[in-house]
Amino acid sequence: MDEKTKTLILGLGNSLLCDDGVGIYVAAELKTRINRPEITVMETGVAGLSLLDLLVDYDKVIIIDAIKTAEGKAGQIYRLDPKSFDTALHTASAHGIDFPTALEFGRKLGLHLPQQIVIFAIEASDISTFSEECTPGVRKAIPVCVKMVLQELKGLK
Amino acid sequence: MKKISIDPITRLEGHGKIEIFLNDAGEVENSYFQVPELRGFEKFSEGRLAEDMPQITQRICGVCPEAHHMASTKTLDALFHVDPPSPAKKLRELFYSAFYVTDHTTHFYILAGPDFVMGPDAPVAERNILGVIAKVGLELGGAVINTRMKNHHIIHMLGGRAVHPVFGLPGGVSKGLNEDERKEAEQIAKDSIEFAKLSLKVFDDIVLKNKAYVDMIVSDAFTHRTYYMGLVDEKNKVNFYDGKVRVVDPDGKEFAKYEPREYLNHVAEHVEPWSYMKFPYLKNIGWKGFVDGKDSGVFRATPLSRLNASDGMATPLAQEAYEKFYSTLGGKPVHHTLATHWARLVELLYAAERLLELSQDPEITSPNIRTIPTAKPDEGVGIVEAPRGTLTHHYITDENGIIKKANLIVATVNNAAAVNMSVKKAAMALIKPGKEITEGLLNRIEMAWRPYDLCLACATHNLPGKAPMEVVIYNSKGEIIQTLKS
Repeated sequence: MDEKTKTLILGLGNSLLCDDGVGIYVAAELKTRINRPEITVMETGVAGLSLLDLLVDYDKVIIIDAIKTAEGKAGQIYRLDPKSFDTALHTASAHGIDFPTALEFGRKLGLHLPQQIVIFAIEASDISTFSEECTPGVRKAIPVCVKMVLQELKGLK
Repeated sequence: MKKISIDPITRLEGHGKIEIFLNDAGEVENSYFQVPELRGFEKFSEGRLAEDMPQITQRICGVCPEAHHMASTKTLDALFHVDPPSPAKKLRELFYSAFYVTDHTTHFYILAGPDFVMGPDAPVAERNILGVIAKVGLELGGAVINTRMKNHHIIHMLGGRAVHPVFGLPGGVSKGLNEDERKEAEQIAKDSIEFAKLSLKVFDDIVLKNKAYVDMIVSDAFTHRTYYMGLVDEKNKVNFYDGKVRVVDPDGKEFAKYEPREYLNHVAEHVEPWSYMKFPYLKNIGWKGFVDGKDSGVFRATPLSRLNASDGMATPLAQEAYEKFYSTLGGKPVHHTLATHWARLVELLYAAERLLELSQDPEITSPNIRTIPTAKPDEGVGIVEAPRGTLTHHYITDENGIIKKANLIVATVNNAAAVNMSVKKAAMALIKPGKEITEGLLNRIEMAWRPYDLCLACATHNLPGKAPMEVVIYNSKGEIIQTLKS
């Protein structure tokens, strides 16, 4: 990895829907902490192909998003890479374009897409109430996740 | 690192579900299309400045923020009693046409394409965009990406950013086009027209030349005779950005034509105990249940509806495509739900042609892009055609422009009753006692709702991409006998 690893930090979510916005809040906090020309911090609510458009020309991407699992505890943070849930996503989305499919599609078309993808997923509690704040358990995870992303960046020159 | 496996079912929490109930004989008794409840939008909006609504409401949805942005902006014009200057209206429509090109392209190639290119019975793992490009070639995949990117560039030029644009203001827009930008938009429009023509050819080659597909499109399982709604211009031509709402009856005769502010005189919402979603219907016909026909107030608001509710397209090539559409399918109106995919491509061509017209309009580089509002705000309604159907915003404020009440009717909600009916009819036609319920069969049921391009709760930003749906089939004892996740 040389000094010019172009990195995108992408906070994903819907900041109108309570815990769904947690990725956005983490990215907003990271924006104030990171000042390196090769790193871009972005917040977005888009999905599928539009997400693919954002990733073009980066070497590495760190995505922060909310997630809901069956037995997860609100605020729990998972560090994932696309391979770790590749199969499940393919199974789950026959027609909508899921993330791994979008990536594969982009690569087949010869787009320059990140070789390294890391996802920090934060277990959400409420994603269906209109609110611009997270629930307390999820709010506590924001600074923790910020630290985890900063730690992740330390691995980069 | 700990490996975490995420069961897809967990990610379906809070998303759409279709439940199909069978009777003792194994026939379809009933089916229910359900969506999650999003709580508190009214309360959330109360006390906010009305002029913030175009920014706030576009964040509801990760799929069509531009549609909410535009509906909200038009609502502010009405609320502040201000008429934007002509160049501003044209810039809005140019912006909106570029958005339509991106959205219709995505729907056709990502959602609809796999069913027809790969076939409804193809294995799930192949029935996606990767399967499509493996079959029709990488070149077309590249054209899809390019068309989207270029049109997003137009949105970016005008909205200041690619996502969640800051563009519409009460009385106008925030930014115009200079001559260089205009030229860029003009070239993008020309390329988009070629792409739209190519897409119609792909549809012609793959779908219309395959008798089995045409038979499926016109089959009774995928047909409902309903009312149709869409915005039209003064000549009753399809318009996405502005005009009057026109409703035609199942025979294609005009039933109503009204200004956005009059919508409550024409549309009412029916409530069912099993759904959070309300079911809009035509007030002057009345709610008669989930049935079609002239006596039922159920209407549809989709690309097919817009074509049915209009007298044609306002641009030449799209008009040709419109005429071919109706001559092939036996005249107006067309009631075949699967024809919505074709209608979407006719609209794609119109959006690209309209983009070109506007980019060549002498007024489009005018700096006269805003009329400053001076009247006191009170109440406003704004309607645009979102790609998925008619989108209504309605705000009531105090004299300082603080929201007291806000109501939105989004496209998917307009079609809620019809989606229920479409799924039930397809399920009844396809699920038969003693017949094995295969994946292909379930996919055909799924094809009954795919043309509506459901935008569930507009909360589709999460990693899987489009809103996941789950179909659950129960036997007469209420036991689950099969599920399909998409």
